[in-house]
Amino acid sequence: MTSSDVRDVLNLPDGAAGGPRPSKKAKITAPRPNLKGLAREVHNLGGDNPIAIVPEVTQFKKRRFVSRKPAARWELRQFANSGRKDESLVLRHWRRVEEGKQSSSAAGEGNVPEAEDVEDSLYAKYNVQVSVPQYNEDQYHQVLENPDWTKEETDYLMELVRDFDIRWPLIWDRYEWSPPATNGEADADGDESKAIVPATRSRSMEDLKARYYEVASRMMAVQKPVQYMTQPEFALHELMAHFNPQQEKLRKDFALNSFGRSREEAREEESLLLEIKRILARSDRFNEERRELYNRLDYPHAEQDINTFKSSAGLQTLLQNLMTADKSKKRKSIMGAEVPTPSGQPTPQQAAPENGRRDSAAASSGPRESGASTAASSAHKKSQSQSQQQIQQQQAQQQQQQQQSQQQQLQERKKLTEHEEIIYGVTHHDRLGSGPTFRTEKINKLFSHKSNQQQLRITNTLNELDVPAKLAMPTAATTHAFEQLLASVNSLLDARKITDKIDAEIKLELAKKAEREKALGNQDAEKSGDADEDDEDAKDESAEADEPSKGDDEDGAAAQPEDDEKEQDEDAAPSDEAAAQPSVEQDDDNADEGKDSAVATRKRSASVLSSVSDKSLKRQKK
Amino acid sequence: MAPSNQFGKRVKLTQIRRPFVVGSTALPFSDANPRPPGAPDNHTHSWQVFVRGMEDTDITYWLRRVQFKLHESIPNYVRMVEGEPGKPFVVNETGWGEFDITIKLYYVNDSGEKPQTLYHYLRLHPYGRTEEEKQSMLASNGEVRAWSYEEQLFNEPYEAFYQILTSGAVPKGWKPAGGSGKGKGKGKNRAPPPLPAPDSGDVWERTAMIPNTNRPGQPFSRETEAAEIKKLSDAQQKTEQMTKQLLAELKKKEEQLAQLKTENAAAVAKTS
Repeated sequence: MTSSDVRDVLNLPDGAAGGPRPSKKAKITAPRPNLKGLAREVHNLGGDNPIAIVPEVTQFKKRRFVSRKPAARWELRQFANSGRKDESLVLRHWRRVEEGKQSSSAAGEGNVPEAEDVEDSLYAKYNVQVSVPQYNEDQYHQVLENPDWTKEETDYLMELVRDFDIRWPLIWDRYEWSPPATNGEADADGDESKAIVPATRSRSMEDLKARYYEVASRMMAVQKPVQYMTQPEFALHELMAHFNPQQEKLRKDFALNSFGRSREEAREEESLLLEIKRILARSDRFNEERRELYNRLDYPHAEQDINTFKSSAGLQTLLQNLMTADKSKKRKSIMGAEVPTPSGQPTPQQAAPENGRRDSAAASSGPRESGASTAASSAHKKSQSQSQQQIQQQQAQQQQQQQQSQQQQLQERKKLTEHEEIIYGVTHHDRLGSGPTFRTEKINKLFSHKSNQQQLRITNTLNELDVPAKLAMPTAATTHAFEQLLASVNSLLDARKITDKIDAEIKLELAKKAEREKALGNQDAEKSGDADEDDEDAKDESAEADEPSKGDDEDGAAAQPEDDEKEQDEDAAPSDEAAAQPSVEQDDDNADEGKDSAVATRKRSASVLSSVSDKSLKRQKK
Repeated sequence: MAPSNQFGKRVKLTQIRRPFVVGSTALPFSDANPRPPGAPDNHTHSWQVFVRGMEDTDITYWLRRVQFKLHESIPNYVRMVEGEPGKPFVVNETGWGEFDITIKLYYVNDSGEKPQTLYHYLRLHPYGRTEEEKQSMLASNGEVRAWSYEEQLFNEPYEAFYQILTSGAVPKGWKPAGGSGKGKGKGKNRAPPPLPAPDSGDVWERTAMIPNTNRPGQPFSRETEAAEIKKLSDAQQKTEQMTKQLLAELKKKEEQLAQLKTENAAAVAKTS
């Protein structure tokens, strides 16, 4: 009876509790196949829980499959080792007899295997010879000469190197060079008494290495010039050519030392290192603190004469001084945050690096004066205006300090020579806005500050002059030249404008005159009988002359002679004009205008440029 | 009082200039310059716009990065190019049209300066008032070069930046450490060589120097500058002459006008 049956009986819902059940069942079924040899009934005895009985499985090693083949045959075979020098040595080893050869070997078992060639040892290939640089007599004398080494010794070294496969400890160990007697050969008896035997010098491993690498690298270079070497070859060459025996020696000594030190020594070294680290860290902090301290000391300079502050009244002054200084400092710093005025005091951070040097300089000039002034003020400290004075004085003092510090900073800054300034492009100007700009901006501004029409006129003029409006190379010099050019272009344009205006006025005047004369002419025509003939002729002439002058206003010079004629006319005219009643009104107008324009001309002669305003005035009156 | 910042104070009344070249180089597609695989069919040119130092000197010690704002139709049209020491700021693209490129220069952090904006008109076709000018824009291999010289002026730089700008001049390609020394690890720093004469015509790293003469691919030099100045002063003289002439005429005309007016006035006076 399982739990589900109970549920059924009790009419319990089969929901949540029913979930895990199938998995349980699965668990039960899982081990079942494993438990072989148990009857199903026995299993069922366990119910939900698996039975804890585990049947013992008896397992034996698998039986070996013995091949039924006959046992392999082995034979004792001779072999030689080509890697050895003693060729005659022949050893023997066991080798399996190959199937095909079996019969033959079996047949010739008794024979000495001289006929068949002796097999080479498997291990012969491991006898590798190092390649040691080879050189002949000539090459030695050309490139390998070394005062410390004779050729014989070098040869000996090379031999050793070859023998011991460049294993340096071995080479060094076996290195026993006894130089041959240089003078006279040993007698047949072996008497060497006369021979001079140079003292053998002991060579360190580094010496040997250095010599070997020297020889090797030089020979490498001889066989293949450096520029033709491949990358790895060149690397090897460089490595050997730059072998430094001293450094190697030092390195070994150091290693030896550090191997040889005792536990205590090691511990001490470690603690010393720690100590150094700590000291360095502390010195950083110390520097920081000192800097801060200097900042604090910056404003009220400590080098002042403190005698003035010894009395209680003096102390009072000092306190006030400090307070005002503090206040003004605060205020300034707030102002500074809003408006970065160019003439600022150095902020603490800025002032910091220079302080060390500056203080001494400041002590010499500035504070003495301020000290004197504070002393003077303390004399009449009782007065009402004292505090105000103090403030003023304080401000003055501070300004002084500012200037001072500014000057000092200028001095502090690395003073560039003129040469350096040219190289680095440093220039000084009387007025300068701060911030980065471009050189072309200046020219662009010259344009953009004008009206569109003016810009157009300027560009037209520049086109006339065959000058592009954009500089090919805007440097300081070209920009300057361009500015000058623009200035003259502007004055040219002004001149043109005025000429245009005057032309217009001349036209106007001429028109007036023509009109007047026409009027006169009409009158004359009425009274032609009375008028002289001369007069009429002159008028006609002038009328004719007026026409071309109107058409060609620019040509002032041409108009000049006509003017003379007109004057003559007018001299003659008055007699008639007095009688000219019908045109009085018109003439009145003319007279007004004439007066105005007369005023205008007078003014214009004074200043040509003001003609515009004059003319506008005239227009209004009209 | 200046704001308390890490840059120090501004160096008063001092200006430091740094010449550089801003420009574009365009090359039409051809057999020698094949269309890159991704380029749309209507594109006709490959071009690049750049900001670089005189004679390709390093400018990254004052210029941190450059923003190139290309035409909106180009995908990802705002290109930010970070400075790599010794390399110019370059954007390579393909296209078919000319437009104005807005170039914003961001200065190194030590400068404490705000970025500034430049404009450069991308030219794909030679442009000029005369054929000669057009030809001068064409390089021998058909490249259209619109390069312009520009000077960056640092007005009243901060102390720290001033120090950066006024130190470290070295010849081009000069390395502080001895190149192939004796394998001794770090060699001592070589002292920089003495500064060259200002008129030597060399261009050193970290200076404001300009070459004396033009070389292929380096069209900006003292030579160009002198020619420009001459042209300008000639033009100026011409203008002044014209003005003089005009003023002389003006004088005569004024006389004439005055005469006319007195005449008229006199005439009116007589009639009234």
